[in-house]
Order: sequence, then C-alpha cells, then structure tokens
Amino acid sequence: MYFELISYPFLFAAIYFEVFLLLTFLSGPARASRNRVFSDATPTVALIVPCWNEERTIRGSVDSLLALDYPKDKLSIVVVDDGSTDNSAKELEAFKGNPRVTIVHKENGGKHTALNAGIAITDAEIVGCMDADSFVEPNALKETVPYFEEPKVGAVTVAMSVHQPKTLIEAMQNVEYILGIALRHILASVNGIYVTPGPFSLYRRSIVEEVGGFRNGHNAEDMEMALRLQRNGYWIENAYKARVYAQSPKSVPSLIKQRVRWTTGFLRNVLYDYRDMVGNPAFGVLGLIVLPLGFFAIVGGIMMTFIVVYQFISDSIQTYSTTHGLPLSYLLTPRFSFDLFYFPVTVFVTLAMVAALGSVMFIIMGKHISKTPAKLSLGVLGWIFLYGLIAPFWLIRSIADVATGTRRPWR
Amino acid sequence: MNLLTRNALLALIITIAIIGSIAYLIDRLNRERAADLAAIQNQLATDTLSIETQFSLLEEASCENLTEGNVLSREVSTLGDKVAVTEERLGSDDAQVLQLKKQYTLLQIRDYLLTKRLAEACDLEPVVVLYFYSNEGDCPDCDRAGAALSYLRETYPSLRVYSFDYNLDLGALSTLIAVEKIKAPFPAFVIDGKRVNGFTSVEEFEPKFPKRLFEMATSTATTTSKR
Repeated sequence: MYFELISYPFLFAAIYFEVFLLLTFLSGPARASRNRVFSDATPTVALIVPCWNEERTIRGSVDSLLALDYPKDKLSIVVVDDGSTDNSAKELEAFKGNPRVTIVHKENGGKHTALNAGIAITDAEIVGCMDADSFVEPNALKETVPYFEEPKVGAVTVAMSVHQPKTLIEAMQNVEYILGIALRHILASVNGIYVTPGPFSLYRRSIVEEVGGFRNGHNAEDMEMALRLQRNGYWIENAYKARVYAQSPKSVPSLIKQRVRWTTGFLRNVLYDYRDMVGNPAFGVLGLIVLPLGFFAIVGGIMMTFIVVYQFISDSIQTYSTTHGLPLSYLLTPRFSFDLFYFPVTVFVTLAMVAALGSVMFIIMGKHISKTPAKLSLGVLGWIFLYGLIAPFWLIRSIADVATGTRRPWR
Repeated sequence: MNLLTRNALLALIITIAIIGSIAYLIDRLNRERAADLAAIQNQLATDTLSIETQFSLLEEASCENLTEGNVLSREVSTLGDKVAVTEERLGSDDAQVLQLKKQYTLLQIRDYLLTKRLAEACDLEPVVVLYFYSNEGDCPDCDRAGAALSYLRETYPSLRVYSFDYNLDLGALSTLIAVEKIKAPFPAFVIDGKRVNGFTSVEEFEPKFPKRLFEMATSTATTTSKR
C-alpha cells in the first residue's frame, strides 16, 4: 500500500497534463484554429520520398501522392533512392517518363541525407517529407498547405492513423495515433509541438535551408528538425483534417524496436542537443510543460512498471508463505463475492481510471475533429490494458541504451 | 496574465480539486461502509441478546433456538471478514476500526457463550476453536495459522472458529484471556477446550483436533476471519 504512494506524483502529472490540454482545447487559440478560413493560395510543393529498401510499398506511396488533389503544375514528387539493395530501383522504373516524378539514386547515407538531397534539387516554396511506407488521402495537401499563409510557420504536421487495422496490435497503435491527432491539434494552438512526424510533414523550404537542413538527430531527424525550428522561433502548425496513413509495426518486437528509436531519439536530442529548452520560459508550453512532462512520463512509465512488478512479486511471496502446505484443490478453487462491500475502490485505482478516461476522451476528440474512420473499442481496450505491458520493455531498453551509449540501427 | 500561465494555474487548481475530491469521497465511502457494519453489528447484538433473554426467561436454553443461533453464528462469521477488510482499508490504528473490532469481539464472545449453552441444552458437541493472534510483530506465523483455519473451516463446516486480537483493549476479552489462561507465544488456540501454542504446518495442526470433527457429515458452520 505504501508503495502506491510513489505512483501518486505520476498520476498527478498525468491528470494535470490532461486538464491542461482540455483547457487549452477550449481556449481562444485552439477555437480560432478550428474556425480559421484560409485563402485558396497554392504555392509550389515538392514532396520528397526517401526510400531505402521499400520495394513492397514505394509504388503505392508514390501513386497516392500522384492522386493528391492539388494543381498538377504546382506539385512535384522527388523519390530519393538511398542506396537500396532490394528491388526498389526496379519498382521506381514504373514512374520513369512521368514529368511530375523525379528519381534520384544515391549512395546510402541515412534518411536525413536523402531528404537533403531531395531538397537540393527543388526550388518549390514548400517541401514535404513522406516515408516510403506511408500513403495519403487526396485531401492531405490542400488541408495542409494553407497553414503556411502565416510567415512564421516553419512546418505543418498532419493527422496520422493506421489504414484499416486488422490485428490487435495495429488497432492499439491506431488508437494511439488518433490520440496524437487531438494532442497535436491542441499543442499546435500554443506552439507546443516537438516532432514533425516522418510519415508526412510539410516544411517551408527557405526556413529548412536557413536552419541548415536535416541532420541525423540521433536517428530521429523529424524530432531534431522540429526542436531546431522551435529554437529558432518558428511555429509548427497542425492540419488536423489532413489524413495520412502510417505503416505500423505488425509484431511486438518490431513495435518495441520502433519505440526504442523514438524514445532514445527524444532522450538524446533533449538531453544532449536541446537541453537548454527544457524548463525555459522562452519556449512557452514546449519548454515549461511538454518537454519536462515527456521526461516525467518515461520515468513514470518505468516506475509504475516497477511498482506493479514489485506488488505482484511481494503478493505472490506473501500468498505462498501463508498458504504453502494447504492442498492445491483448496487453493485453486475460485471464490467470488458479489457483495459490493468487497469492491475495491482505492485512491490509486480511481486516479488511474480518471487518467485513463481522460485519455479516452482525447481519443474520441481526435477521431471527431479529424473525422478519421475507425472503430475504436477494441483498440482502446487493448491500448489501456495491454500497452502498459509492452511499453516498459521499450522504456527500460531506451534508458539503458542512453545510459550505456548503445546505438542501434534504424531497422 | 498570459494564456499559458492562466491555463497552467487553472489546471493545477482543477487537478488538486479532482484528486482532493477523490481522496475525500473514497475515505467517506470507506467510513460509510464501516458505519454500515456497525449497524449490522448492532442488529446482531440485539438478536443475540434476544436469544439470551429468552434463555433467561425460560431459565434454560431451548433447542428451538438452535436454528436461530446457527443463523446468527453464520452472520457473525460473514461480518468478521468485513471487519478484517475494513481494518485493511482504514488502518488498524483508526478509531472507527478499533470500535468496530471491539464490538465484533464482544459479539463473538457472546456467540461463543450462546453456542456453549445451546450445545449443553441440546446435547451437541460442536468443535470450537478460540484463536488468539497478535498484530504487534510477535507472531510471524499468525498469517499462516489464519489461512490454515480458513481452509479447515471450509473443509469441515461444523468447525466453529472465533478469532481474537490478543492486544485489543477490551474488558470482556481480557476476562476471556484470563479464564482460558492464554499466554504467549502466539498464535495461541483453545481447541475443543485444550490450549495449544504455536503453528508449524497444517499436517501437524490437524491432529490436534478431535476425531469427531472429521467424522461429522453435516455441520453448523460458524467461521470468523483471521483477524
């Protein structure tokens, strides 16, 4: 019971962040962003698709870009084959002769080098980066580009989800992405976004060049670029109606691997290169709330796991020590009581339920504002009850990797 | 005040209000549950007193009260589990819990005496265990003894177990302890009238019970919780 007390600061932080987000959602800037009326301006756009061994998905991704609802003379696509060793190059031959598609082959140098190579050969006002395993809805660009009307906007993020999730693990990630839609919409209204996700984000080319182009960013070039834009005083917007489908890991090990990359990327960027932003009032919500709570969430996730594991082991030892010697037939007989008196209502359980309900509220909000077609029930249940069993693996491994200086490959 | 400061402060106030309200409401719920138990205890005390009074009026126990007595004993037993849960929820030092435990201990003693009178009047030989535990850190085997008694009373429903916190400050309990000559080490038992101290295992514990317990096919169950 006393061990539960350790969890209270983390539950407090979780509920505090949710209340803060809700208040921000209801505040003037977020309301204004939902009612904003844009002009019909269509600046030139170049969408860059870095491709490294994406033979299975690259054609579909480029096809979805070609189907975007945008003036054809204003939109170009640059596929950068970053030294693929599979049949990606052969797949890309299908686009040879298409005047809107430029294909660049280069030696493998990492995603950031492919993005920079793409930016270098275009003079479009807006550059977009799209992962070669993602695809977009036709409205994605028209919903995104207008946000660049404001000169201080350096990047615009979109509303990501998983296309027709089939398995529980995909459904859980879909729910998480939809939660992200609400969070990005709210945080964008107060310039609190710290990552411009790789699946699809747009940038003002002049600003990307001004800040020095993409960097490796500890294998999280999208997070590093977002933090660099923020440090240089630019805004990151969110187009919550622009729908993009991201490819999600299909197995637990690949999910853990992806999340270790994200989490170590966050920790290394913020600890090593952008530490000055943490707790810095000059960076508003990002510096005072989002980045500090990001750390707190990682520590909290590990601590909560530790508490649950400790409780489980200690209860098991206690049960064994008090009941060993009694017949198994007696111990294994299930005993249920429907007396409400025994229903466990504790502060810990109730606060955890409030925090979980808060998350569900934001998931519903994300689905509602973005009009994302998704069945949430299975994913929400999995996300609440199963994600917590998997997340500790990537959180602990991430902390261990950062502490020991271990660097893992992208895939 | 800018928007960030306003929302941050407002969120802090609302969060404190939410958490404070939850803590308050749960404490109140647990206290109301405890108060409900006190009400049940009062009712059982009245029922017990009613049977005792009937005995006094008739100047001897009537076997007609046997069924009623058994029902009362079962209710006392159920109540014991709830008192134990309440003690876990509110803490063993809580004034309300101490009051509940005292009332419950009195109820058990009266039920024990009633059982003896009914047994004499109706020529029955129920197997009764008085179990004395201590929460003062001087009884490492009390949890195991409690689990073993729970197992035995479930396996042999005719077994009646009355459990007492040796350190509870209650005159009637002190008298019972003096009458039964209970002393450390704990756990201490009075099994069918014989004093036993200490607990090692169920295998060594079972032979201390009279054979008629194991031979009884049907029973009148009365149980109490470990603590």
